[in-house]
Parts: sequence; structure tokens; C-alpha cells
Amino acid sequence: MMILNDEQRMLRDTIADFLAKESPVEALRALRDQAPELAWEPSLWSGLCELGAPAVASSEAEGGLGFGQVGMGALILETGRTLCASPLLSSAIHAQAVIRHCGSPAQIERRLPGLLSGDTVASVAIQEGSQFRPVPRGTRRNGNTLSGDKSLVMDAGAADYLLVSALDEADQFCIAVVPLNTAGLTIQSQRLMDGRQYGSVALENVEVEEWLEGDAVEQGFTRALDEATIMLCCEMLGASRELLERTVAYLQEREQFDVKIGTFQALQHRLATAYCELELAAASVFNALLAMDKGETVLSEHASKAKALVGDILQHLSNEAVQMHGGMGVTDEMDIGLFLKRSRTCNQLFGNSAFHRNRFATLRGF
Amino acid sequence: MSDMDSFRLEIRAWLEAHCPVSQRQPIVREEQIWAGSRSTFPSEDARQWFEAMRDRGWTAPTWPTEYGGGGLSSDEARILDQEMARLQCRPPLYDMGLWMLGPALLTYGTPEQKAQHIPRIVRGEVRWAQGYSEPGAGSDLASLSTRAIDQGDHFVVSGTKIWTTRADVADWIFCLVRTDPEASKREGISFLLIDMASEGVSTRPIPLISGESEFCQTFFDEVHVPRDNLVGELNGGWEVAKELLKHERKLMATMEAITEKVDVGLVDLAKSRLELSEAGEIADGDLRSRIATHLMHADALHHLNETIYRGMKAGQLDPALPLTLKYIGTTEQQRKDELMLEILGTDGLAMTGTDSVEQERMVRNWAYNKAHTIAGGTSEIQLNIIARRGLGLPE
Repeated sequence: MMILNDEQRMLRDTIADFLAKESPVEALRALRDQAPELAWEPSLWSGLCELGAPAVASSEAEGGLGFGQVGMGALILETGRTLCASPLLSSAIHAQAVIRHCGSPAQIERRLPGLLSGDTVASVAIQEGSQFRPVPRGTRRNGNTLSGDKSLVMDAGAADYLLVSALDEADQFCIAVVPLNTAGLTIQSQRLMDGRQYGSVALENVEVEEWLEGDAVEQGFTRALDEATIMLCCEMLGASRELLERTVAYLQEREQFDVKIGTFQALQHRLATAYCELELAAASVFNALLAMDKGETVLSEHASKAKALVGDILQHLSNEAVQMHGGMGVTDEMDIGLFLKRSRTCNQLFGNSAFHRNRFATLRGF
Repeated sequence: MSDMDSFRLEIRAWLEAHCPVSQRQPIVREEQIWAGSRSTFPSEDARQWFEAMRDRGWTAPTWPTEYGGGGLSSDEARILDQEMARLQCRPPLYDMGLWMLGPALLTYGTPEQKAQHIPRIVRGEVRWAQGYSEPGAGSDLASLSTRAIDQGDHFVVSGTKIWTTRADVADWIFCLVRTDPEASKREGISFLLIDMASEGVSTRPIPLISGESEFCQTFFDEVHVPRDNLVGELNGGWEVAKELLKHERKLMATMEAITEKVDVGLVDLAKSRLELSEAGEIADGDLRSRIATHLMHADALHHLNETIYRGMKAGQLDPALPLTLKYIGTTEQQRKDELMLEILGTDGLAMTGTDSVEQERMVRNWAYNKAHTIAGGTSEIQLNIIARRGLGLPE
């Protein structure tokens, strides 16, 4: 669980009410049947922006609402409970963090306000191929042109611009700012199993007018990625809690052999151990949010611990939820399957549990 | 500077002045300072450290000063804990009376009982044993059958208690006894304090798989116990026992809450014993991954404890959360023990006769700690409680 202050609790309750009305799980069902070009419902996004959702974590000095990362984490957790599809993670969290930590003061001044208000949407293109790796390999800068292929770019087709990680001629890390209408950029949008839009991005000698570059960019990019990973963990926690609660509710209702199946110790113990693991993961995530709010800038260990633990428990709970719902668990009519599928994309985004265990071990020096 | 900050600085200075360097090493079982008339100090430093803490009442930091305790608020006690952890100070005193009986006695004891027992617990003069389980009453504790017959000014107690930790050197024992065999299981039980020197009490150590015999069986053969030694109401012992069990579970969870320095021990052990890659990483990817998972869990358990503390302070604690600690803490401890044993390879198969005391200790602990998921409520009982009281699944 997260311990929130009064303001953060009010924020959480406001968002929960809003999502219950504007973005219940049925909204995702409706979205997934649309053409892949539609990444989110425009009315949902404008509603979130009116509430100030993209600026929740940002400080008042920066023009934000000043609820801190714990506040944003609590908000994102709620979006995980209803499988809310919006560019909060791709743009309001990840792209914002990349601009904030990698941009020059002038770039920050120019680009951040749009991302904070939500008028502008950007997405970060990192991954190449089917396995997550944070360091670019095939995406190369040559002078001011950029070539390469990026995969699994969230909401890419609906964004205003992409932030593309690359290496230059001297193998230095840099980030290209690429508006969507740039010549040589093609995006193939696809709806993955979670019903959301992802883009496969091809860059062929793209003329880039703006770069985020300099010595601090690589470190800033890692920090932004770690922050986004921690926020994704919040969404995954929300999904995990929802799965646990829905399964407990089903076990309290469903009768077989003339008793509620929730009386069976075999099922009780499985859910009780899952609950313990969920709370361990939640404690890890909460601690990571607190570290961010304390101003810690090196977050990799926090992010890897959180992502590995949350990834494991969400995968486990989604499987248990399907199993314990019996035959109903494998029907499309039940929402459980939607959570199962979202859990698998969440596990891949920003690196799966195995990736983060390995990264954690390396960071700890073994 | 806030009052708490200056309190912290004062404690820090005091600990640095009074805790001998030898008492700032991770504790090993042979060097624990146990209470009791028959206890000896493992070293002169240990004695000094214990006496300094005792004289400030910090063997029981939050207990009232009128009984010799430290009289600290929970916030102050937490600062003391943190400062002791920072300096790696060893616990100054080990005793069941300190951990379990004392808190229950402060709640349920008469003024006379408190005056008689609490100061002696704080000063470590009396070693207490716990008389709960019986050969026929383990997880189903309420089915216990040790009988106490009411004779007006005293009870006559007959029966046997098992897993009575170090009852062979204990001075006193707190027991659950059946005072009303006609009542339903939980309603005929009373809570009695029994002097181990009483006539008719005998005890027998039980050899364990670790090669030690910490646990005993204690026999009561028509033992006369003064009525003044009844804690709580006659036939109201179950309530006292539940209060006490809460403290026991909290204790078992935190004792096993793995601290960072011990985790570094696991990594150091692995790096010194296992084949490493050129990058200095453990070459066995499977073992490396399991060590990583354990360390993540250990850190997370630490944060879970913090979350519970914060939640309590903020008045927004999910009541199901503390129920998880005993299960998680003891399970994770065993996972770590298994990793240690595995890292030792075939060296870990020798329990005695090697030239490494430290290695033998690890192996002994691996066997010894198997008791942790059994004692104080088995993991299975814990999971029942989590499922029913925490998650709300039906009985």
C-alpha cells in the first residue's frame, strides 16, 4: 500500500471517480475494436488534461500541480485498475522526463509546457527488435540525419513528435526530436494484445532539426527511463490489486459442492501467498516513489527491484485469476482476460523481470 | 533543530561512548546475552554494554520508568533503534519475558504482578520460558490439556508442555493451563506464572536436527502454584495468550527481517566460493538470479516494515498488512539459508569437525531456522489468517 497525504488522497479519489465514469474497463473493449490509428479516446484525454493529470508530479515552480511522484504514482495506480488507455505513461511521464533531464534550458522552456498541459503528446523510441535493451545499436546519427528501426513505441502514430535514442559517429549517445510529419519517417501502427497502439518506426535518412545532446544526456536518459519504469510499476500494481480483489469477490460468490469455493484452503493459501508477494512488491514501488520525491537522481536499483518484483507478481496473479475463475476465466466476456493481456505487455515494456534481475545483480556488483 | 534531532544526537553520542567496539559486530548466537539467574556473560565487554543499557532502562525502551523501563515514546524508541542499527550495536538482552510476557503483563497484570516481575525482566535477572504447546496441542493450541485444579489460594498443575525454549535454564515459565474442562475449548483456559523451582517441575532437552537442544519438554507433576500468579481472569487466559502471540509474531518477523549487512554477507560468500565471469559476476546464472530475487525480497521486507510504521502513524494502515510479516520474514530467512547452503557446495554438508566455525554456524542455522516457519504459528496457520481476516475469504 501507499501512504498518502491528504492532498494526494483527494487527488486519488478524484481520479478514481473520473476513471469510473470516463474510462471503465468497457472503454478499453470499445477502443480495441477500432482501427489501430486511434490510440486513445480524445474526450478521455482532454478530460484527464482538464484535471491536470499530466502535470500532477511536476513542481509548482515548473508550472505543475506539485503532488510529487507519490501523487502521480497513486494516480497511475488507479489507471491500472481500469486499464485506462491514454498517453499518460508515454508522454506525460516518459517524454516529459526525457525533456526535463536531457534537454537544454531553452529546450525545456520550449517543450515542457505543451507536455505538462497535454496539448502536445510525445513518445520515446528506445527498443530495437523484439528484446528490450536500453542502449541503441542500429539507430545511428550521421551529421544531422538519422537512420534505424525502433519497435514497441507507445502511442507513436498519435504523437506529435518522437524522442529517438541513437548513437552518433563517435558512438556518443544522443536523442533526436522527430516530428511525425518528417520526411523519411514511417510508422506502422499496430494494436497489441492489450488493445493499445504501438508503433514500429522506420527512419531512413531523416533530417533532424533538433537534438538533445551533450555529456549529461545518457545519464539523464537513464534517469528518465527509470522514472517511467517506476510509474509503469504503479500501473501494474493497480492491475494486480484489481485482479486480486476481483478474484476474492468471485471466490466469495461462486458455489460448488454446496459451499463457496473461497472456503477451500488450497485456494485460500494461493491467494494469501500472492497477497504477501504483492505487498512486498508494493513496498518496493512505494519506496522508489519516495526516493524520487526525496530528489534522488540515481534510481536504477530502485527501478529494477520494483519492476522485477511487480512483473513477477502481476504475471502470477493474472494466471491465478484466470485459473480461479474457472471456465469463465478464459471467456472474452470476463474482464480477467483483458488484465491478463495487459500484464504481458507491461512485463515487456522497459524490460521484463529477468532483464531487471540481471541489471540489479550487476548494479550490486555480483 | 527539532527536539527529535537533538534527541538523536544525544543518543548517538551516548551509544558511541558506551557501546564497546566488540559489541558492534553482527550478533552470533553463542554471544547473545540471555537473562536469568544462571546466565553468564560471553565477555566483559558484553557485561559492560548490558549494564549500561540496563541502567538507562533501554533493555525495555518503551516500558514505564516506574518499573525500570526507558519510558521512551514510540518515536524516540524508533530513533534509538535506528541509531543502534547505524552503529551495529548488538541487542543488550535476550529474553522471552522481555519480548512477550512483559508487554502482556503491562496490559493484563495486577499492580502487584507488575511490581514483582517487570523490574526483574528489565534488569535481566529472570529468564522466562513459554509454556504453550503440548504434545497433543500444536497448531490447535486451544485443545491443550495441562490441568490446573482450583484449590482456592492455589492451583495444582499437572501435565506437560513442549517446545519450551531453554526451559532447562529458565527461572520462570508462563503457561496456558486448562482450568475448566467443561467449558468450550477456548473458554476454559487460564494464564499462569510458574516458578521453575517449584516442587514437581522437571524438564528434558530435546535434541534437534541442528545438533542443538534449545527446545525442551517440561513436566508438571501436581505443582502447587499460588493464586496470585494468575494473570487476567480465571478462564480468561486465551485473551492474554492472543495478546502475547501478537508480540511473538512481530518478534519473529523482525528478528528475521534481513538487514543489509547480512545480505552483503551472502554476496561476499557467493563471490568468494563460486566461479566468476571475467566481469566479476557469478557465472552460474541460475544461482545469481535467485540471489538477486532474495536480496530484492529482503529490501522489500525492510520497506514493508517502514510502510507499516508510516501507515500506523498516518492512521491509514491496511489492517491485513501486519499479518503478512511473520510468513514473509521466516520464509525469506529460509530462502537465504538454502542459498548459503547451496553456495557452500559439498563443504556445507559437514555440520561438525571442520576448521571453520563460521561455516559450521551457517549450516547449523540452516537446520535451526527450519523451526521458524513452525514456531509461533505455522506458515499454514498464518496463511489461513491472512486469507480469512486479511482478504475476507469465507471460513
